[in-house]
Amino acid sequence: MNGQTSHQQSKDGRHDDDAALTEFLASLMDYTPTIPDELVEHYLSKIGFQCPDIRLTRLVAVATQKFIADVATDALQQCKARQSAVVKDKRDKQQKDKRLILTMEDLSRALREYGVNVKHQEYFADSPSVGLDSVSETSDN
Amino acid sequence: MSDGDGRDSLKFLGERENQQWKRKKKKLGADEFAQAIARIAVAQVCEGLGFQSFHQSALDSLADVGVRYIREIGKTACSYANLANRSQCNVFDVIQGLEDLGSIQGFSGASDVSHSLSGSGVVKDLIRYVGQAEEIPFAYLTPVFPVVKQRTLDPSFAQAGESPPDEHIPSWLPKFPEPETYATLSLRNEKDLETEVVNKTQLVEEQHRKVERPLLNFQQKLICNGSEAGVVVEQGDAAKAQRAAESNPFLAPPLQYGEKEVALPVLPPKLLDDPADYHNSCVVTDTNLLTLEPSLRPRETERSAPCEPEDRRNILLNGRPSLQFKFGNGKKSLRMVTSPRNESIEKVSLWFGDDHDGKDKTNRKAEKILWENTEYPPEVSHL
Repeated sequence: MNGQTSHQQSKDGRHDDDAALTEFLASLMDYTPTIPDELVEHYLSKIGFQCPDIRLTRLVAVATQKFIADVATDALQQCKARQSAVVKDKRDKQQKDKRLILTMEDLSRALREYGVNVKHQEYFADSPSVGLDSVSETSDN
Repeated sequence: MSDGDGRDSLKFLGERENQQWKRKKKKLGADEFAQAIARIAVAQVCEGLGFQSFHQSALDSLADVGVRYIREIGKTACSYANLANRSQCNVFDVIQGLEDLGSIQGFSGASDVSHSLSGSGVVKDLIRYVGQAEEIPFAYLTPVFPVVKQRTLDPSFAQAGESPPDEHIPSWLPKFPEPETYATLSLRNEKDLETEVVNKTQLVEEQHRKVERPLLNFQQKLICNGSEAGVVVEQGDAAKAQRAAESNPFLAPPLQYGEKEVALPVLPPKLLDDPADYHNSCVVTDTNLLTLEPSLRPRETERSAPCEPEDRRNILLNGRPSLQFKFGNGKKSLRMVTSPRNESIEKVSLWFGDDHDGKDKTNRKAEKILWENTEYPPEVSHL
């Protein structure tokens, strides 16, 4: 008996989930994701994703938008954390660095949580022998 | 950003980078448009979150990651659909793909192995996100891309209403091209060629449009394939070539020598010898220069800066040895005779030398004397 009720409840739960999903897919037609449909369709068709239903493309677009928003939010938090750390040292910078800039450093730290390794060049050198002059000088001396 | 050899090396690097950057800019990949749109969309999302500006490299990286995310969802969803023996994807395939990708970050209910897909944590997260986030529409109207060109296919035998020439060729195959486009004449007698040409002109006149278009298409295809334009122009195809030439001057066969009357440049009289001898050689001497000086003043409407003849005489006389060079010409005279000879004085337009203002009677007389001695008075050749 208990098994039957739990089974019944799970069935209802499943119905609710299905209903919620259906409702969500219908609401997607009202919500316009920031990533345009044409772009998503272009890349999906390139990769072999076949579906004439536009709701699915919207679903993918919304999922990607959420992903990017999460990453950007993490980067924003990193940026704010760095600014607050700096402000403690000098009060002058508080007025200058109010601008929130998406930098490569913050982005790579945020993406590392998601399993994406983006490493950025720290500096560029003119030639391979740059920086070796000091070494040769010391060796001569 | 380096402690290099000094400013020269930095400058050099800057120029090189500049050139490389310019080169990169010119090389546009096939996906450039889509990447640009992705960049704009990601920038809008970031702006909505509170970012005020960004580094270009950071935006490029994030846009690239976003594009890869789309492709990854598509790939996993497609593979799940194929696993279930389907070719078209389902909403459940997409949810499973999202679960796979979200398993790194984690979502509620991930550890539950036997949960239903519609009640999955990713779906709930998405629903929550859509409910919370403000709607930021994309800034531009994007067209449907990539744009597919409409190809005009060749009509088949059945469509054209023709029957295929042989039994083994089915009627739904495209038509053969017109024989005039590919038929080339082998070595034949001249008479045969002539009759052939006559027959061909008649044929061509009858099927004017039909011949022209496939021929042009054929020639265009030849051009597109890298072969030289107008490569097949043989004697027998004069009519065909003419048709082609009428429509496209660049495909016309080259003109033979003497076919078209072209005004040749007129040599100034000072390069001419003894007038009677100018057919075969040009000899330049001092005396000629002196005598021809006065005649170097043409009657021209166009004038350039005037130059005094006396100065030129001085310049020419001072210490210059007499030049003698002979140009052997086996061909016709350089002064081409196009119209019947006139006794009257013609205007002489100089290729070199200065034009002078004003007319002098003395000059006229000198020229009259000069040209009366010639057999072929010069023609007016305004270049």
